[in-house]
Amino acid sequence: MPYTGPIVERNRELARQVNEEARKNPNSPYANKFVGIANGQVVVVADDFDTMVRRLREVEPDPSKTFGVEASRDYTEVHEIWGLR
Amino acid sequence: MPRVLWPLRRGRPCVEVVLTLAAGGQPWTRGLVADTGAGANNSGFHLILDENDCLRCSGNLLQPLTLGGAYTGSFPTYALSVRLPALGFDRPLTVIGVTSVPVGFHGIACFSFLNQFTYGNFGDPGRFGLEC
Repeated sequence: MPYTGPIVERNRELARQVNEEARKNPNSPYANKFVGIANGQVVVVADDFDTMVRRLREVEPDPSKTFGVEASRDYTEVHEIWGLR
Repeated sequence: MPRVLWPLRRGRPCVEVVLTLAAGGQPWTRGLVADTGAGANNSGFHLILDENDCLRCSGNLLQPLTLGGAYTGSFPTYALSVRLPALGFDRPLTVIGVTSVPVGFHGIACFSFLNQFTYGNFGDPGRFGLEC
């Protein structure tokens, strides 16, 4: 079962806000950073993906309570998959 | 330089990655079709797996990504620890969770994953491999 519940929704909404802020304001502390969220709060701001994931797992071992976002990224971009199914 | 080769599967290039099951921490090998046409180098994702596999391995949720082509729409995305023991590779990767994967495989190794290595048949047309 995919992760569901109020914590997932809080994390998802905070990630959306963090990315929106970073995309609007290049001076945001989140701009171009990898941001880790746990239990509805930002807990990690890292320069690279590996560090963000490692620290996020240290802070909150339960993966269903965590969320990660690459701030400033355009998540509406469509990525083509040419492969067969 | 370390190199690992796998036999073609269903006539297609295959790579085998090792995940870790949340229950018991056992290693779990998944065979993926190596597909340089899956995403671009800067797409921000490395593998496509059955979403249930992402959950079995305690993937951390990431912001969803939007795909087009063979998969269309917004898809859940996870950070998963992935190993290639023969190459000493052990890193968290960005993995897209889907509900159906190519027949005969557990998922897709995308271009941004393959392109971290030297890849190809290394002179053996019956196999596909990675070198780093």
